[in-house]
Amino acid sequence: MKHNYKRIAGCLSLCGALAGLLLLPAMARAEAVPLEERLQLCAGCHNPDGNSIIPENPKLAGLDAKYLARQLKDFKSGDRTNEIMATIIPMVDESEFKALAQYFSEQKRSDGVTEKPDLAAQGKQIFDEGIIGSAVPACSGCHNEDGSGTNKYPRLNGQNPVYVKNQLMNFKNGIRTNDAKSVMRAVAKRMNDAEIEAVAEYIVTLKEAQ
Amino acid sequence: MMKTLLSICVALLLPLQAVAADAYVPKVYGKKGYVWDEMTPERVEVLRLGGDPVKGKEAFRGCRGCHKADAAGVREGVYPRLSGQHTSVLIKQITEIRAGIRLNPKMLPFVEDPAIALEEIGDIAVYLNQVESLRENGKGPEDMSAKGKKLYFANKCDTCHGKNGEGDAAKAFPVLAAQHYGYLMREMKLIETGARGNSHPEMVKAIAKFGQSDREAVADYLSRLPDYRTLAAKPAAK
Repeated sequence: MKHNYKRIAGCLSLCGALAGLLLLPAMARAEAVPLEERLQLCAGCHNPDGNSIIPENPKLAGLDAKYLARQLKDFKSGDRTNEIMATIIPMVDESEFKALAQYFSEQKRSDGVTEKPDLAAQGKQIFDEGIIGSAVPACSGCHNEDGSGTNKYPRLNGQNPVYVKNQLMNFKNGIRTNDAKSVMRAVAKRMNDAEIEAVAEYIVTLKEAQ
Repeated sequence: MMKTLLSICVALLLPLQAVAADAYVPKVYGKKGYVWDEMTPERVEVLRLGGDPVKGKEAFRGCRGCHKADAAGVREGVYPRLSGQHTSVLIKQITEIRAGIRLNPKMLPFVEDPAIALEEIGDIAVYLNQVESLRENGKGPEDMSAKGKKLYFANKCDTCHGKNGEGDAAKAFPVLAAQHYGYLMREMKLIETGARGNSHPEMVKAIAKFGQSDREAVADYLSRLPDYRTLAAKPAAK
Protein backbone atom coordinates (compact mmCIF):
# COMPACT_ATOMS: atom_id res chain seq x y z
CA MET A 1 0.00 0.00 0.00
CA LYS A 2 2.77 2.39 1.03
CA HIS A 3 4.46 1.80 -2.29
CA ASN A 4 1.19 2.54 -4.09
CA TYR A 5 0.71 5.86 -2.34
CA LYS A 6 4.23 6.80 -3.33
CA ARG A 7 3.51 5.94 -6.93
CA ILE A 8 0.24 7.82 -6.93
CA ALA A 9 1.88 10.82 -5.33
CA GLY A 10 4.64 10.68 -7.93
CA CYS A 11 2.14 10.46 -10.75
CA LEU A 12 0.07 13.27 -9.36
CA SER A 13 3.01 15.65 -9.14
CA LEU A 14 4.02 14.72 -12.67
CA CYS A 15 0.47 15.31 -13.82
CA GLY A 16 0.36 18.57 -12.02
CA ALA A 17 3.48 19.74 -13.80
CA LEU A 18 2.22 18.55 -17.17
CA ALA A 19 -1.20 20.00 -16.65
CA GLY A 20 0.33 23.30 -15.65
CA LEU A 21 2.37 23.35 -18.82
CA LEU A 22 -0.43 22.34 -21.10
CA LEU A 23 -3.32 24.17 -19.61
CA LEU A 24 -2.01 27.57 -18.76
CA PRO A 25 -4.45 29.38 -21.02
CA ALA A 26 -7.38 27.06 -20.41
CA MET A 27 -9.80 26.85 -17.57
CA ALA A 28 -10.36 23.36 -16.16
CA ARG A 29 -14.04 23.55 -17.01
CA ALA A 30 -15.89 22.01 -19.89
CA GLU A 31 -16.96 24.46 -22.52
CA ALA A 32 -17.75 23.34 -26.05
CA VAL A 33 -15.46 24.84 -28.69
CA PRO A 34 -15.32 24.28 -32.48
CA LEU A 35 -13.69 21.04 -33.62
CA GLU A 36 -10.63 22.73 -35.18
CA GLU A 37 -9.86 24.50 -31.93
CA ARG A 38 -10.40 21.38 -29.84
CA LEU A 39 -8.16 19.30 -32.07
CA GLN A 40 -5.22 21.49 -31.07
CA LEU A 41 -5.60 20.21 -27.53
CA CYS A 42 -5.62 16.55 -28.66
CA ALA A 43 -2.78 17.06 -31.14
CA GLY A 44 -0.28 17.87 -28.42
CA CYS A 45 -0.20 14.25 -27.32
CA HIS A 46 -1.83 12.34 -30.20
CA ASN A 47 -0.48 14.31 -33.22
CA PRO A 48 -2.71 16.32 -35.55
CA ASP A 49 -3.52 13.21 -37.63
CA GLY A 50 -4.02 10.99 -34.57
CA ASN A 51 -0.86 8.99 -35.18
CA SER A 52 0.85 9.64 -31.88
CA ILE A 53 4.64 9.43 -31.97
CA ILE A 54 4.91 9.36 -28.18
CA PRO A 55 5.30 5.65 -27.31
CA GLU A 56 3.05 5.77 -24.24
CA ASN A 57 0.19 7.42 -26.13
CA PRO A 58 -2.15 5.55 -28.42
CA LYS A 59 -2.60 6.18 -32.10
CA LEU A 60 -6.24 7.21 -32.48
CA ALA A 61 -6.22 7.31 -36.28
CA GLY A 62 -8.52 4.76 -37.87
CA LEU A 63 -10.16 3.62 -34.64
CA ASP A 64 -13.90 3.04 -34.85
CA ALA A 65 -15.83 6.24 -34.08
CA LYS A 66 -18.16 4.53 -31.60
CA TYR A 67 -15.21 2.98 -29.80
CA LEU A 68 -13.46 6.35 -29.54
CA ALA A 69 -16.59 8.13 -28.34
CA ARG A 70 -17.08 5.47 -25.69
CA GLN A 71 -13.50 5.86 -24.45
CA LEU A 72 -14.00 9.61 -24.11
CA LYS A 73 -17.23 9.04 -22.23
CA ASP A 74 -15.52 6.53 -19.96
CA PHE A 75 -12.64 8.91 -19.23
CA LYS A 76 -15.22 11.54 -18.37
CA SER A 77 -17.17 9.26 -16.04
CA GLY A 78 -14.07 7.69 -14.52
CA ASP A 79 -14.85 4.22 -15.90
CA ARG A 80 -11.48 4.41 -17.64
CA THR A 81 -8.65 6.06 -15.78
CA ASN A 82 -5.43 7.67 -16.96
CA GLU A 83 -3.50 10.38 -15.11
CA ILE A 84 -3.03 12.60 -18.15
CA MET A 85 -6.48 12.16 -19.64
CA ALA A 86 -7.91 12.91 -16.21
CA THR A 87 -6.48 16.44 -16.47
CA ILE A 88 -7.62 16.95 -20.06
CA ILE A 89 -11.10 15.49 -20.17
CA PRO A 90 -12.71 17.92 -17.70
CA MET A 91 -12.11 20.67 -20.28
CA VAL A 92 -13.90 18.84 -23.09
CA ASP A 93 -17.66 18.99 -23.20
CA GLU A 94 -19.56 15.77 -23.81
CA SER A 95 -21.29 17.34 -26.83
CA GLU A 96 -17.89 17.41 -28.60
CA PHE A 97 -17.18 13.67 -28.29
CA LYS A 98 -19.00 12.54 -31.40
CA ALA A 99 -17.26 14.95 -33.78
CA LEU A 100 -13.85 14.28 -32.23
CA ALA A 101 -14.35 10.54 -32.53
CA GLN A 102 -15.53 10.93 -36.12
CA TYR A 103 -12.48 13.04 -37.03
CA PHE A 104 -9.95 10.55 -35.67
CA SER A 105 -11.80 7.56 -37.09
CA GLU A 106 -11.39 9.08 -40.57
CA GLN A 107 -7.62 9.55 -40.30
CA LYS A 108 -5.32 6.96 -41.87
CA ARG A 109 -3.49 4.77 -39.38
CA SER A 110 0.29 4.99 -39.91
CA ASP A 111 2.47 1.89 -40.12
CA GLY A 112 4.84 1.13 -37.28
CA VAL A 113 8.16 -0.67 -36.92
CA THR A 114 9.50 -2.97 -34.26
CA GLU A 115 12.95 -2.65 -32.78
CA LYS A 116 12.72 -6.23 -31.52
CA PRO A 117 11.95 -8.47 -34.52
CA ASP A 118 12.71 -11.72 -32.64
CA LEU A 119 10.23 -10.83 -29.94
CA ALA A 120 7.69 -9.80 -32.60
CA ALA A 121 8.03 -13.25 -34.20
CA GLN A 122 7.08 -14.86 -30.87
CA GLY A 123 4.20 -12.44 -30.64
CA LYS A 124 2.93 -13.46 -34.07
CA GLN A 125 2.49 -17.03 -32.86
CA ILE A 126 0.34 -15.83 -29.95
CA PHE A 127 -1.59 -13.33 -32.07
CA ASP A 128 -2.43 -15.91 -34.75
CA GLU A 129 -2.80 -19.11 -32.73
CA GLY A 130 -3.20 -18.15 -29.07
CA ILE A 131 -1.49 -20.11 -26.30
CA ILE A 132 -3.12 -23.50 -26.02
CA GLY A 133 -1.53 -24.54 -22.72
CA SER A 134 -2.89 -21.56 -20.81
CA ALA A 135 -6.11 -21.21 -22.84
CA VAL A 136 -5.25 -17.80 -24.27
CA PRO A 137 -7.43 -17.25 -27.37
CA ALA A 138 -5.78 -16.00 -30.56
CA CYS A 139 -6.02 -12.19 -30.83
CA SER A 140 -6.81 -12.62 -34.53
CA GLY A 141 -10.11 -14.32 -33.66
CA CYS A 142 -11.74 -11.02 -32.72
CA HIS A 143 -9.34 -8.34 -34.02
CA ASN A 144 -8.72 -10.02 -37.43
CA GLU A 145 -5.43 -11.43 -38.69
CA ASP A 146 -4.27 -8.01 -39.85
CA GLY A 147 -5.39 -6.33 -36.62
CA SER A 148 -7.89 -4.15 -38.47
CA GLY A 149 -10.63 -4.88 -35.91
CA THR A 150 -14.36 -4.22 -36.29
CA ASN A 151 -16.89 -1.84 -34.81
CA LYS A 152 -16.85 -4.00 -31.68
CA TYR A 153 -13.16 -4.86 -31.41
CA PRO A 154 -10.69 -1.99 -31.78
CA ARG A 155 -8.11 -1.62 -34.52
CA LEU A 156 -4.66 -2.73 -33.39
CA ASN A 157 -2.41 -2.59 -36.46
CA GLY A 158 0.58 -0.28 -36.09
CA GLN A 159 -0.34 0.67 -32.52
CA ASN A 160 2.51 1.87 -30.29
CA PRO A 161 3.91 -1.17 -28.46
CA VAL A 162 4.45 0.58 -25.14
CA TYR A 163 0.79 1.63 -25.14
CA VAL A 164 -0.42 -1.87 -26.04
CA LYS A 165 1.75 -3.42 -23.35
CA ASN A 166 0.49 -0.94 -20.75
CA GLN A 167 -3.15 -1.59 -21.67
CA LEU A 168 -2.73 -5.37 -21.50
CA MET A 169 -1.02 -5.01 -18.12
CA ASN A 170 -3.85 -2.75 -16.97
CA PHE A 171 -6.43 -5.32 -18.07
CA LYS A 172 -4.43 -8.07 -16.38
CA ASN A 173 -4.15 -6.16 -13.11
CA GLY A 174 -7.74 -4.94 -13.13
CA ILE A 175 -6.77 -1.28 -13.55
CA ARG A 176 -8.57 -0.97 -16.87
CA THR A 177 -12.08 -2.33 -16.52
CA ASN A 178 -14.03 -0.70 -19.34
CA ASP A 179 -13.84 -3.67 -21.72
CA ALA A 180 -17.57 -3.94 -22.26
CA LYS A 181 -17.68 -7.70 -22.10
CA SER A 182 -14.81 -8.15 -19.58
CA VAL A 183 -13.24 -10.43 -22.17
CA MET A 184 -9.92 -8.57 -22.38
CA ARG A 185 -9.47 -8.90 -18.64
CA ALA A 186 -10.04 -12.65 -18.91
CA VAL A 187 -7.51 -12.91 -21.75
CA ALA A 188 -4.80 -10.72 -20.21
CA LYS A 189 -5.00 -12.52 -16.85
CA ARG A 190 -3.91 -15.70 -18.63
CA MET A 191 -0.81 -14.06 -20.14
CA ASN A 192 2.54 -13.52 -18.49
CA ASP A 193 4.55 -10.30 -18.86
CA ALA A 194 6.86 -11.75 -21.53
CA GLU A 195 3.91 -12.91 -23.64
CA ILE A 196 2.27 -9.50 -23.35
CA GLU A 197 5.44 -7.78 -24.47
CA ALA A 198 5.84 -10.14 -27.43
CA VAL A 199 2.28 -9.58 -28.65
CA ALA A 200 2.68 -5.81 -28.38
CA GLU A 201 5.88 -6.00 -30.46
CA TYR A 202 4.05 -7.96 -33.16
CA ILE A 203 1.03 -5.67 -33.24
CA VAL A 204 3.14 -2.64 -34.19
CA THR A 205 4.33 -4.49 -37.32
CA LEU A 206 0.81 -5.28 -38.54
CA LYS A 207 -0.42 -3.54 -41.67
CA GLU A 208 -4.02 -3.54 -42.79
CA ALA A 209 -4.60 -6.05 -45.58
CA GLN A 210 -5.52 -4.35 -48.85
CA MET B 1 -34.59 -9.76 -3.32
CA MET B 2 -32.83 -12.16 -5.68
CA LYS B 3 -35.26 -14.89 -4.68
CA THR B 4 -38.23 -12.71 -5.46
CA LEU B 5 -36.78 -11.76 -8.83
CA LEU B 6 -36.03 -15.37 -9.58
CA SER B 7 -39.53 -16.54 -8.75
CA ILE B 8 -40.98 -13.78 -10.93
CA CYS B 9 -38.74 -14.93 -13.79
CA VAL B 10 -39.72 -18.55 -13.29
CA ALA B 11 -43.39 -17.66 -13.13
CA LEU B 12 -43.08 -15.71 -16.37
CA LEU B 13 -41.33 -18.57 -18.09
CA LEU B 14 -43.58 -21.36 -16.91
CA PRO B 15 -46.02 -21.27 -19.84
CA LEU B 16 -43.10 -21.35 -22.28
CA GLN B 17 -41.54 -24.26 -20.48
CA ALA B 18 -44.74 -26.24 -20.76
CA VAL B 19 -44.79 -25.71 -24.52
CA ALA B 20 -41.13 -26.58 -25.08
CA ALA B 21 -41.29 -29.64 -22.81
CA ASP B 22 -43.61 -31.42 -25.24
CA ALA B 23 -40.77 -31.93 -27.69
CA TYR B 24 -38.48 -33.54 -25.14
CA VAL B 25 -38.03 -37.07 -23.83
CA PRO B 26 -38.88 -37.88 -20.18
CA LYS B 27 -36.31 -36.81 -17.63
CA VAL B 28 -33.72 -39.25 -16.38
CA TYR B 29 -31.71 -38.80 -13.24
CA GLY B 30 -27.94 -38.73 -13.60
CA LYS B 31 -24.97 -38.34 -11.33
CA LYS B 32 -24.83 -35.72 -8.57
CA GLY B 33 -28.43 -34.66 -9.01
CA TYR B 34 -28.09 -33.60 -12.64
CA VAL B 35 -31.37 -34.15 -14.41
CA TRP B 36 -30.69 -35.07 -18.01
CA ASP B 37 -31.95 -32.50 -20.43
CA GLU B 38 -33.85 -30.53 -17.79
CA MET B 39 -34.71 -27.14 -19.26
CA THR B 40 -33.13 -24.13 -17.67
CA PRO B 41 -35.18 -20.92 -18.04
CA GLU B 42 -32.46 -19.54 -20.28
CA ARG B 43 -32.57 -22.53 -22.61
CA VAL B 44 -36.35 -22.24 -22.88
CA GLU B 45 -35.95 -18.61 -23.88
CA VAL B 46 -33.16 -19.34 -26.39
CA LEU B 47 -35.26 -22.06 -28.04
CA ARG B 48 -38.21 -19.70 -28.19
CA LEU B 49 -36.17 -16.95 -29.88
CA GLY B 50 -34.67 -19.17 -32.59
CA GLY B 51 -31.58 -18.01 -34.45
CA ASP B 52 -30.24 -16.03 -37.36
CA PRO B 53 -27.06 -17.44 -38.96
CA VAL B 54 -25.96 -14.04 -40.30
CA LYS B 55 -26.03 -12.52 -36.83
CA GLY B 56 -24.52 -15.74 -35.52
CA LYS B 57 -21.49 -15.43 -37.76
CA GLU B 58 -20.66 -12.05 -36.27
CA ALA B 59 -21.39 -13.12 -32.69
CA PHE B 60 -19.15 -16.16 -33.20
CA ARG B 61 -16.24 -13.75 -33.72
CA GLY B 62 -15.74 -13.79 -29.96
CA CYS B 63 -15.28 -17.59 -30.10
CA ARG B 64 -12.91 -17.72 -33.07
CA GLY B 65 -9.78 -17.13 -30.99
CA CYS B 66 -10.08 -20.74 -29.81
CA HIS B 67 -12.55 -22.50 -32.14
CA LYS B 68 -11.09 -20.80 -35.26
CA ALA B 69 -12.80 -18.91 -38.04
CA ASP B 70 -14.14 -22.11 -39.70
CA ALA B 71 -15.22 -23.59 -36.32
CA ALA B 72 -12.80 -26.48 -36.88
CA GLY B 73 -11.25 -26.12 -33.42
CA VAL B 74 -7.69 -27.40 -33.20
CA ARG B 75 -6.42 -30.76 -34.45
CA GLU B 76 -5.00 -31.74 -31.05
CA GLY B 77 -8.58 -31.57 -29.79
CA VAL B 78 -8.03 -29.04 -27.02
CA TYR B 79 -10.87 -27.11 -28.66
CA PRO B 80 -13.58 -29.18 -30.36
CA ARG B 81 -14.83 -28.97 -33.91
CA LEU B 82 -18.24 -27.26 -33.75
CA SER B 83 -19.20 -27.11 -37.43
CA GLY B 84 -22.23 -29.22 -38.27
CA GLN B 85 -23.11 -29.89 -34.63
CA HIS B 86 -26.86 -29.93 -34.03
CA THR B 87 -28.35 -26.59 -33.07
CA SER B 88 -30.16 -28.26 -30.15
CA VAL B 89 -26.89 -29.72 -28.84
CA LEU B 90 -25.04 -26.41 -29.11
CA ILE B 91 -27.83 -24.58 -27.29
CA LYS B 92 -27.93 -27.24 -24.56
CA GLN B 93 -24.17 -27.13 -24.04
CA ILE B 94 -23.81 -23.33 -24.18
CA THR B 95 -26.68 -22.68 -21.77
CA GLU B 96 -25.54 -25.43 -19.41
CA ILE B 97 -21.97 -24.09 -19.37
CA ARG B 98 -23.39 -20.63 -18.62
CA ALA B 99 -25.53 -22.09 -15.84
CA GLY B 100 -22.52 -23.89 -14.34
CA ILE B 101 -24.06 -27.30 -14.98
CA ARG B 102 -21.39 -28.33 -17.47
CA LEU B 103 -18.11 -27.37 -15.92
CA ASN B 104 -15.85 -25.44 -18.27
CA PRO B 105 -13.93 -22.72 -16.43
CA LYS B 106 -11.63 -22.03 -19.41
CA MET B 107 -14.53 -21.20 -21.70
CA LEU B 108 -16.81 -19.54 -19.17
CA PRO B 109 -15.49 -15.93 -19.34
CA PHE B 110 -15.98 -15.93 -23.12
CA VAL B 111 -19.46 -17.41 -23.17
CA GLU B 112 -21.11 -16.04 -20.05
CA ASP B 113 -23.16 -12.88 -20.00
CA PRO B 114 -22.18 -10.22 -21.09
CA ALA B 115 -19.49 -11.75 -23.37
CA ILE B 116 -22.30 -13.48 -25.22
CA ALA B 117 -25.82 -12.12 -24.85
CA LEU B 118 -28.76 -14.50 -24.43
CA GLU B 119 -30.12 -13.37 -27.81
CA GLU B 120 -26.87 -14.40 -29.50
CA ILE B 121 -26.85 -18.03 -28.34
CA GLY B 122 -29.43 -19.24 -30.84
CA ASP B 123 -27.80 -17.18 -33.61
CA ILE B 124 -24.42 -18.80 -32.96
CA ALA B 125 -25.94 -22.30 -32.74
CA VAL B 126 -27.77 -21.96 -36.06
CA TYR B 127 -24.66 -20.55 -37.73
CA LEU B 128 -22.42 -23.35 -36.46
CA ASN B 129 -24.86 -26.00 -37.61
CA GLN B 130 -24.45 -24.69 -41.16
CA VAL B 131 -20.81 -23.66 -41.31
CA GLU B 132 -18.27 -25.79 -43.15
CA SER B 133 -14.85 -26.50 -41.68
CA LEU B 134 -12.03 -26.12 -44.14
CA ARG B 135 -9.41 -28.05 -42.21
CA GLU B 136 -9.18 -31.74 -41.47
CA ASN B 137 -9.92 -32.94 -37.96
CA GLY B 138 -7.36 -34.72 -35.74
CA LYS B 139 -7.30 -38.53 -36.05
CA GLY B 140 -5.89 -41.18 -33.73
CA PRO B 141 -2.18 -42.03 -33.91
CA GLU B 142 -2.92 -45.24 -35.84
CA ASP B 143 -5.93 -46.51 -37.76
CA MET B 144 -7.97 -48.59 -35.30
CA SER B 145 -11.27 -47.91 -37.01
CA ALA B 146 -12.11 -51.59 -37.70
CA LYS B 147 -11.89 -52.44 -34.00
CA GLY B 148 -13.57 -49.17 -33.09
CA LYS B 149 -16.48 -49.80 -35.44
CA LYS B 150 -17.07 -53.24 -33.96
CA LEU B 151 -17.11 -51.84 -30.43
CA TYR B 152 -19.35 -48.94 -31.43
CA PHE B 153 -22.09 -51.22 -32.75
CA ALA B 154 -21.59 -54.07 -30.24
CA ASN B 155 -22.16 -51.61 -27.41
CA LYS B 156 -25.13 -50.01 -29.19
CA CYS B 157 -23.56 -46.55 -29.29
CA ASP B 158 -25.48 -46.10 -32.54
CA THR B 159 -28.79 -46.18 -30.65
CA CYS B 160 -28.17 -42.59 -29.56
CA HIS B 161 -25.27 -41.37 -31.68
CA GLY B 162 -26.48 -42.82 -34.98
CA LYS B 163 -25.17 -45.27 -37.57
CA ASN B 164 -22.93 -42.58 -39.05
CA GLY B 165 -22.08 -40.82 -35.79
CA GLU B 166 -24.68 -38.19 -36.68
CA GLY B 167 -26.30 -37.99 -33.22
CA ASP B 168 -29.93 -37.03 -32.79
CA ALA B 169 -31.00 -33.41 -33.04
CA ALA B 170 -34.43 -33.98 -31.47
CA LYS B 171 -32.93 -35.54 -28.35
CA ALA B 172 -29.88 -33.25 -28.16
CA PHE B 173 -27.49 -36.18 -28.64
CA PRO B 174 -24.30 -34.81 -30.23
CA VAL B 175 -22.74 -35.49 -33.60
CA LEU B 176 -19.51 -37.41 -33.02
CA ALA B 177 -18.44 -38.09 -36.62
CA ALA B 178 -15.31 -36.18 -37.69
CA GLN B 179 -14.71 -34.86 -34.18
CA HIS B 180 -11.07 -34.57 -33.06
CA TYR B 181 -9.65 -37.75 -31.58
CA GLY B 182 -8.06 -35.83 -28.70
CA TYR B 183 -11.32 -34.14 -27.78
CA LEU B 184 -13.27 -37.42 -27.80
CA MET B 185 -10.65 -39.05 -25.54
CA ARG B 186 -10.74 -36.13 -23.10
CA GLU B 187 -14.52 -35.96 -22.90
CA MET B 188 -14.85 -39.72 -22.33
CA LYS B 189 -12.62 -39.30 -19.29
CA LEU B 190 -14.64 -36.31 -18.06
CA ILE B 191 -17.91 -38.21 -18.56
CA GLU B 192 -16.57 -41.22 -16.66
CA THR B 193 -15.46 -39.17 -13.63
CA GLY B 194 -18.53 -36.92 -13.70
CA ALA B 195 -16.32 -33.86 -14.21
CA ARG B 196 -18.21 -32.92 -17.35
CA GLY B 197 -21.24 -32.33 -15.17
CA ASN B 198 -24.08 -32.79 -17.64
CA SER B 199 -23.73 -36.28 -19.11
CA HIS B 200 -26.59 -38.63 -19.85
CA PRO B 201 -26.67 -41.31 -17.12
CA GLU B 202 -26.73 -44.05 -19.76
CA MET B 203 -23.58 -42.57 -21.26
CA VAL B 204 -21.86 -42.61 -17.87
CA LYS B 205 -22.77 -46.29 -17.47
CA ALA B 206 -21.71 -47.14 -21.02
CA ILE B 207 -18.31 -45.49 -20.80
CA ALA B 208 -17.44 -47.30 -17.57
CA LYS B 209 -17.30 -50.56 -19.56
CA PHE B 210 -14.64 -49.20 -21.91
CA GLY B 211 -10.96 -49.73 -21.12
CA GLN B 212 -8.26 -47.40 -22.43
CA SER B 213 -7.56 -49.31 -25.66
CA ASP B 214 -11.29 -49.64 -26.39
CA ARG B 215 -11.71 -45.89 -26.00
CA GLU B 216 -8.78 -45.23 -28.29
CA ALA B 217 -10.32 -47.51 -30.93
CA VAL B 218 -13.79 -45.95 -30.76
CA ALA B 219 -12.43 -42.40 -30.72
CA ASP B 220 -10.23 -43.22 -33.70
CA TYR B 221 -13.18 -44.76 -35.58
CA LEU B 222 -15.37 -41.70 -34.95
CA SER B 223 -12.61 -39.28 -35.88
CA ARG B 224 -12.24 -41.02 -39.26
CA LEU B 225 -15.97 -40.91 -40.10
CA PRO B 226 -16.89 -38.27 -42.69
CA ASP B 227 -18.94 -35.19 -41.80
CA TYR B 228 -22.49 -36.63 -41.73
CA ARG B 229 -23.76 -33.70 -43.80
CA THR B 230 -21.71 -34.85 -46.78
CA LEU B 231 -23.58 -38.19 -46.69
CA ALA B 232 -26.98 -36.52 -46.84
CA ALA B 233 -25.85 -34.24 -49.66
CA LYS B 234 -24.66 -37.11 -51.90
CA PRO B 235 -26.57 -37.12 -55.18
CA ALA B 236 -28.66 -40.22 -55.83
CA ALA B 237 -26.97 -42.84 -58.04
CA LYS B 238 -28.13 -42.79 -61.63
